[in-house]
Amino acid sequence: MKENYDAELMILVNEKHGHALEELYDRYIKLVYGFVMKFCNGNEEKTKEIIQLVFLRLWTTNSQYDPAQGSFVNWLLTITRNICIDYHRKEKRHTQHYQEEHEEIADFANVIEQRVNTNDIEMAKNKLPTAQRKLIDLLYWKGYSLSEIAKLEQEPLGTIKSRLHQALKGLRKHLELEDIK
Amino acid sequence: MRRDCDHLIPYIANELKESERIAYVEHLKDCTKCKEEYQELSQAWHALPFDYTEIAVPESLKGEVLGFVFDHQTKSDTETFMAKMSKLMMKFKSHFTPVSTSILVVLLLAIIGLGIANVQEKNRHAANIPIEILTTIPLKAVNQSHTGTNGIAYIVQQGSEKNLVVQVHELPGVEGSQVYQVWLLKNGIRENSGIFKPDENGSGILTYQLAEGQTFDQIGITVEPDANSSQPKGEKIAGS
Repeated sequence: MKENYDAELMILVNEKHGHALEELYDRYIKLVYGFVMKFCNGNEEKTKEIIQLVFLRLWTTNSQYDPAQGSFVNWLLTITRNICIDYHRKEKRHTQHYQEEHEEIADFANVIEQRVNTNDIEMAKNKLPTAQRKLIDLLYWKGYSLSEIAKLEQEPLGTIKSRLHQALKGLRKHLELEDIK
Repeated sequence: MRRDCDHLIPYIANELKESERIAYVEHLKDCTKCKEEYQELSQAWHALPFDYTEIAVPESLKGEVLGFVFDHQTKSDTETFMAKMSKLMMKFKSHFTPVSTSILVVLLLAIIGLGIANVQEKNRHAANIPIEILTTIPLKAVNQSHTGTNGIAYIVQQGSEKNLVVQVHELPGVEGSQVYQVWLLKNGIRENSGIFKPDENGSGILTYQLAEGQTFDQIGITVEPDANSSQPKGEKIAGS
């Protein structure tokens, strides 16, 4: 039902009904805002710019959300993450502080992550070995590609891929255990 | 097939090229192993974004985001229009040399000039259509106290247009809002065909355009208390 409603809203958005975009904003801004803030390490200015781009993408996109392909939230967050990654890549190209960036990653600190967070995924993630957790953070939240991470970690690409495989498997297992509890 | 299965992880991480992605989606339909793994792993992947703390969204953000989107829309509309126009101009320029452009301009001016001349000629022609008097109907006084009243009505035709012209002399004067009204009688029904006020000599004239195919049996002229009568209220002064 919910997915259908979101799909209908997206059809209206494609037909350029402003109120439908506004409704999507009201429904999902909390989720998108929390996500982008985490991606931007709590930088409010960048977060605002990225969220503007996310909603601009929804407004101008020709691609339709297809409920058969998965939930609307996943679709929206995939778009959001892609825009976050593009934004940070462009920014990186402008500043070219690769070395500094590298150091920053080496001692990984995330302002938001340091807050107490007791949700399931956080707990499941904390049960992963450090290398796997770091990989997920670099890949998912920092927007590095698998081959970039291989270069950073000075390990073969195959090793990184199988580490991600293991990490996702482990997460899945821990999440299932959380559900049973 | 083994190589295709290797694409599972980059597919989940959204790192395949478009052609590879399409190929892998096809592969996923047939490979049971990949299908199972994909379901399991993508569930974990899609759980990743929920690893954040809910933060209060600033109130002002909504206006800034939606304002940005809708502003962008109007701007890009104007831009596309401008872009289209300049593209058209470029196309135009690339097709025409200065010489051919000036020839074109001269030709266009000539066409416009001839067009105007032609319209004027037609108008003069219209003014030249002869007016033909089809019928003449004498009008006589009806009222005993004003036996001198007389007049004439014509049905005139110009082109396809038919007009009734009513001309009456020595009419008794009217007071205040009083007017003379002309009625056309057809099968006992009176139809209003206009009002007029006579000049100080008691003469008045009225032109009424007849509808196509409109005929009548009789003409009547009455004096009416005002200009709003839809049926005769006053005394009949003259008629055919």
